[in-house]
Amino acid sequence: MKELIKNIKSRIQLSFEAEEYLFSISKKKTFSKGAVLIRQGQNVNKIYFVTDGCLRSYCIDKNGKEHTLQFAIKNWWISDYIAIHNNESATLTVECLKKSSVIEFNAKKLNGIFKLFPEYEPFQRNLLERHVVSLHRRILNQLQLTASERYDLFLDQYPNIEQYARNYHIASYLGITQESLSRIRVEKAKI
Amino acid sequence: MKALQIVKYGEIKDSLAFNEVSKPTVQAKDVLIEVKAAAINPIDKSIILGNLKGLIPIPFPSTSAYDVSGIVVEKGGEVSNFEIGDLVYSRVPQEQMGTIVEYVAITSVAVSKKPGNISFEEAASIPLAGLTALQSLEHVGIKENDKVLIHAGSGGVGSFAIQYAKAKGAYVYTTTSTTNVKWVKELGADRVIDYKTEDYKTIVRDIDIVYDTLGQNYTSEAFQVIKQGGKVVSVVGPLDEESAKMFGMTDYKLPEELAKLISAKDASYKFIFMHPNGAHLAEIKSMVEDEKIKPIIDKVYPFSESIEAFTHLASGRAKGKIVIKIS
Repeated sequence: MKELIKNIKSRIQLSFEAEEYLFSISKKKTFSKGAVLIRQGQNVNKIYFVTDGCLRSYCIDKNGKEHTLQFAIKNWWISDYIAIHNNESATLTVECLKKSSVIEFNAKKLNGIFKLFPEYEPFQRNLLERHVVSLHRRILNQLQLTASERYDLFLDQYPNIEQYARNYHIASYLGITQESLSRIRVEKAKI
Repeated sequence: MKALQIVKYGEIKDSLAFNEVSKPTVQAKDVLIEVKAAAINPIDKSIILGNLKGLIPIPFPSTSAYDVSGIVVEKGGEVSNFEIGDLVYSRVPQEQMGTIVEYVAITSVAVSKKPGNISFEEAASIPLAGLTALQSLEHVGIKENDKVLIHAGSGGVGSFAIQYAKAKGAYVYTTTSTTNVKWVKELGADRVIDYKTEDYKTIVRDIDIVYDTLGQNYTSEAFQVIKQGGKVVSVVGPLDEESAKMFGMTDYKLPEELAKLISAKDASYKFIFMHPNGAHLAEIKSMVEDEKIKPIIDKVYPFSESIEAFTHLASGRAKGKIVIKIS
């Protein structure tokens, strides 16, 4: 939590009261590999900041297959924003791919923080903008890059993730089959 | 809720009917599954025909089939390894038989989360054949570089066993008919023997393991092709004495001819009767997620055409598993 507060303070002026408030709406938690933090179809009222480990969010289609939306490593945020924003049950499942430590925030209270502490708003806006940028990049990459190029960018973004993410997690994130991912890896090994 | 039930022993069309049944009650160790898909196996056909009535007697009416995938919608008070909403698959135990139905209650130790990278239909196709192959080959301790013969490579158990044996690093011989040679080769078998044009006994010599999925003369012939001290594991041959005891046949003796063959090769012989096992299914889940094993589906039928699915099974022409989509 201290690191997160330090990070926030590096971007905005945070009052002691706002800092106290952030502590009051959060809990530090550690989860083992395979733990499910948000489950598709159930209520969501938590947002997680990752302090260690790796989490994955995915949706399950009507045929029962998983599609990875996001991986979250240290200093990333993860939740089901669709469910929180629309106040509906979860579209996504969020699980730990390895033992992970997170700071768990009450979503409503975190999203409403700027009403109590307006100085927090620039931090939240900046976070949201970075999130939008990241999503736009992901969509554009999907539209214009080859699978091999997307895989390179993926490894830059998530170094060492292959140690704990399964192949099908990565393949479905990249929107390719597991066979294609294997072929790309073989091709790269030849270079 | 609707279920496909066996109403009497006999021909498929006369013995199966759609009936309204009540939703099962969940016991302390059970999970209630909303069934998405069920799969049928040769044993389901044998039960309907009455071929197994001595070994597995069933009351009438009984809902048919053992393989299932679906979603956990309720759980008993003693279940801690599953949550509501988990996507799972299972080969249900005998006393909970009946998966061609909208909901099934299953003891949680027979259940595993399904592989995340395959559909409900594909997941339902795995348990019975997968558990049979895994438990058989695990029993004989299959390991890297073992030479193994798997009979009937295009069958549900055979096609799974080939992939399992390859994943363990074994060298795999398999037998199949001409039309299946190509796709069985694609499963990873090192030497596919077309039994219509080749005699496997002249090709396979001194191997470590024979996996007998055919029975009759194939069981005794296995001892011609294994090495001294080799292992024969069967799912259709005669019972071994230990297995017979499990069925209460305490004075059972191995057929004399088989006992001689075993002794002459200083070999081991084991009959495997598959048992439901969630931990084994979890092991298979990992192998499927790593694409070491791929489910092979012949055809998916809608629930309303379940009887046609059994007719197709009875034809013996399926290449891979026959699945019924429930919801």
